Amino acid sequence: MAGVANTWGYGAMTNHFGDVVGNSKAIFVIGANSAAANPIGMKHFLQAKDRNNAKLIVIDPVFTRTAAKADHYLRIRTGTDVAFIYGLLHIIFKNGWEDKEFINDRVYGMDEIRKEAEHWTPEETENVTGIPAAQIIQVATLMAKTKPATVVWALGITQHSTGTSNTRILPILQLVLGNMGKKGGGCNIIRGHDNVQGSTDMCNLADSLPGYYGLAEGSWKYFAKAWGVDYEWLQKRFFAPEWMNKKGFSLSKWWQGVLQEEKTYSSSPVRALWVQGNGITSLAQQAKIKEALDKLDLLVIAEPFLNEAAVITERKDNVYILPVATQFETEGSVTATNRSAQWRSKVVDPLYESKTDHDVMFEFAKKFGFYEEYTRAMKMEVKDGVLTETKKDFNWPDDASRELARTLKTIGLGGWTPERLRAHQENWHMFDPITLEGYGPMKGQYYGLPWPSWDENHPGSPILYDAETAVNEGGMGFRNRFGLEHEGVSQLAADAVTVKGSKIKGGYPEITKDNIEKILGITLTAKEKELIGANWKVDISGIIQEKCRAAGVAPYGNARARTIVWEFPDPVPKHREPIHSPRPDLVEKYPTYADQTDNFRVDVKFISEQTAQEWAKDFPTMLVTMRVVNLSGAGMLERTSKYLSHLTPEMFANIHPDLALKYGLRDGDMMWLHAPQGTKIKVKAVHDFSVTPDRIALPYNFAGVMQGVDLSANYPDGTKPYTIGESSNTIINYGYDIITQIPEFNAGLCRIEKA
Amino acid sequence: MYDATPEKMPKARLGRRAFLKLAAVGAGVGATASLVASNKVRAATSEEVKDPYPGSKKVKTICSICSAGCGMVAEVHNGVWVRQDVAQDHPISEGSHCCKGADQIDLVKSKMRLKYPLKKENGEWKRISWQQAIDEISQKMLKLREESGPDMAMFLGSAKFNLQQSFYFRKFAAMWGTNNIDHVARI
Repeated sequence: MAGVANTWGYGAMTNHFGDVVGNSKAIFVIGANSAAANPIGMKHFLQAKDRNNAKLIVIDPVFTRTAAKADHYLRIRTGTDVAFIYGLLHIIFKNGWEDKEFINDRVYGMDEIRKEAEHWTPEETENVTGIPAAQIIQVATLMAKTKPATVVWALGITQHSTGTSNTRILPILQLVLGNMGKKGGGCNIIRGHDNVQGSTDMCNLADSLPGYYGLAEGSWKYFAKAWGVDYEWLQKRFFAPEWMNKKGFSLSKWWQGVLQEEKTYSSSPVRALWVQGNGITSLAQQAKIKEALDKLDLLVIAEPFLNEAAVITERKDNVYILPVATQFETEGSVTATNRSAQWRSKVVDPLYESKTDHDVMFEFAKKFGFYEEYTRAMKMEVKDGVLTETKKDFNWPDDASRELARTLKTIGLGGWTPERLRAHQENWHMFDPITLEGYGPMKGQYYGLPWPSWDENHPGSPILYDAETAVNEGGMGFRNRFGLEHEGVSQLAADAVTVKGSKIKGGYPEITKDNIEKILGITLTAKEKELIGANWKVDISGIIQEKCRAAGVAPYGNARARTIVWEFPDPVPKHREPIHSPRPDLVEKYPTYADQTDNFRVDVKFISEQTAQEWAKDFPTMLVTMRVVNLSGAGMLERTSKYLSHLTPEMFANIHPDLALKYGLRDGDMMWLHAPQGTKIKVKAVHDFSVTPDRIALPYNFAGVMQGVDLSANYPDGTKPYTIGESSNTIINYGYDIITQIPEFNAGLCRIEKA
Repeated sequence: MYDATPEKMPKARLGRRAFLKLAAVGAGVGATASLVASNKVRAATSEEVKDPYPGSKKVKTICSICSAGCGMVAEVHNGVWVRQDVAQDHPISEGSHCCKGADQIDLVKSKMRLKYPLKKENGEWKRISWQQAIDEISQKMLKLREESGPDMAMFLGSAKFNLQQSFYFRKFAAMWGTNNIDHVARI
């Protein structure tokens, strides 16, 4: 999401499923298999086809079940998405099909993209991506002539060493076509788990405080205030002050914090792992993860179902498993992929001896000695512009909801009061599925108050960056997040872009204490000047929001989207071959990045790994992961379901008969798959025409067997799921995105051997 | 063999309602037939067929699998989740479910749920009390913190937390004193 946020301000789905049904004329799905991973999302695409004759274009290395419903299916080679989009842009620019007005008024840096696109002729694009030139021209034409069109993607796009470039080039395509901020357009980025949007917004992340505030000193000071604690106290909790501002280890490479085989940069090795609802077996490099788990001093696992981290490790002591309640045994809110908040009521009390996740946190906060500080903000409210402790006890989840709503101003959660969210749940039937608009008592609100919902009277914003809708009705320009100018060019929207109903003509900067009077043309009272925060993001008093609402202004500004991200190693997205590429000739032409020092406290190999040997010689087959309809994530939930587990009773790989028979593999035979890092898995070969003979596709939702060894004996009594199997993550190749450090699950190589 | 479309989902097991109906017409086989023969069942009344769980309450909630955010209606009788229904009036799902969503009730009640705290000792899993678990874990965590500082811990949170829990997990790591916190949004 870093790529998207760095383009126009927020890294989130810009439109919503109902909008696709109602308004999209073309649906461009790349690196997403909704039919398997997200079938109800897929239902909406099919409705758009049925009702509006919308064209479904699917780009995927595998002929997925989503592809089976497509009007146009383009089989792409893994890891060449940037090249493919440039191929489309080449044709669009050459024919003058770009939206010149939109680019001129609302985008910065498009000339650089135009220059890069010149290189990507249909012939070169075909050479790199494997998609026939005629199909590239056909789809470029279709996208240019069919408005509005929406772009849909998921993990097939992000899970690459160039993931962040991928998530920039797709928004750029939509900017070129003028599809942003429009009904039926936008980037419909489909998130995975039920609350992955919400937990990202809350920043269970090594590089940010909640609400994407980052880790800068000012952000910590704001949170100290918002949490009602002393900043110096919070600072002293850390090893030394500077560690507050440094990114922690990431989910992808935390294990190097234990093993320290690559150089690490932390005040301590990782000695204890605390896992609370996180499928460790869904991570790349399982063999290394096993080694790290074995070496830890302490492993704590808190889950409703057994986390197979407890099974793959051989350790004999210091492993604790705590039973945690599911989300049906607690109450709270959850953010859907379209930024709508939904209230989830408790169905039953926690089963067996399980405790809710927050009770586990509370119990340990008491033992760790910070329970009082931890829960203080739930007893506070903003009174006369000042955050004040007003009661002796708190009420979960309501007071936590109020706390996060009033604190997370960056993404505009001010409107998410528990009362409003409960009313939306009560009135599901009072919202239009296509527009999300409310009827009757819900009139004037959008379902789930999709963020930003700036304050308690704001209706939510169903479509981001829609300048033709008033801010107070859910509209806005692009966010002013990247300064006022770059190389002498203003980053604010052109004069022609006046957000509907706004007191300010054209673009304007984000609102601060210093510029509010000038920008809004108002005069603050002495009292207001005393209470107001430094800028809209940290203004606990709420005065900036109140004044902006009166002027019909979005506090975050009205700026330009940018195609150049000057802070990134590739300011303009560039095609770079995967770390393990099947095309040595292209590795020379489009090499990966230089090796990276200290990203998330650890070094990462790029060019040295890519060129260590000619990988394609020994590992000639491309490795692709795929989704199956009955499993999700690490699979540890669904494999405990009698019905779901039996749809895929064992681990397998889809393999084209031509490739299979080359190795003497009949349908159903067992095979070894070897990875460049020296690991292997033994899986069943299933003859299937969804893959071509140059690649195989594997589900990634199994665990419990490792490199041929059945680990059944390691499961505690009564916790072994109905199905276990080799994890594809044991052979996922080394490779990480240069910004987010997401592993390269979706491009790699392997060698097949008959078992 | 691996055709995993929702249509291929095995039919849900014989529910009580279907059982009563079967019993009423005496068309059952096996156990049902023998029960009929021994007069151990009677015909369900039309009231019972219409409302097999008198006094139950319907709880509106949200599926916990994927981010589409489908609505669900859970029927709870005497504190037990007895039936799951689609939410016909939900603005996103409009009464649809995929096979995973339709199975939420069975997942929650799965036999493989973790039921009590466990500890591995000399290679053997051992049941322990919550109090023992909390005491031992916190003592070990604090000892390691004392020795190596707070960055000795790595906290992995969940995309299945609700917002409130998620916010509080980030705060938990902050007050422990580390930025070693992450979750699956990175994969």
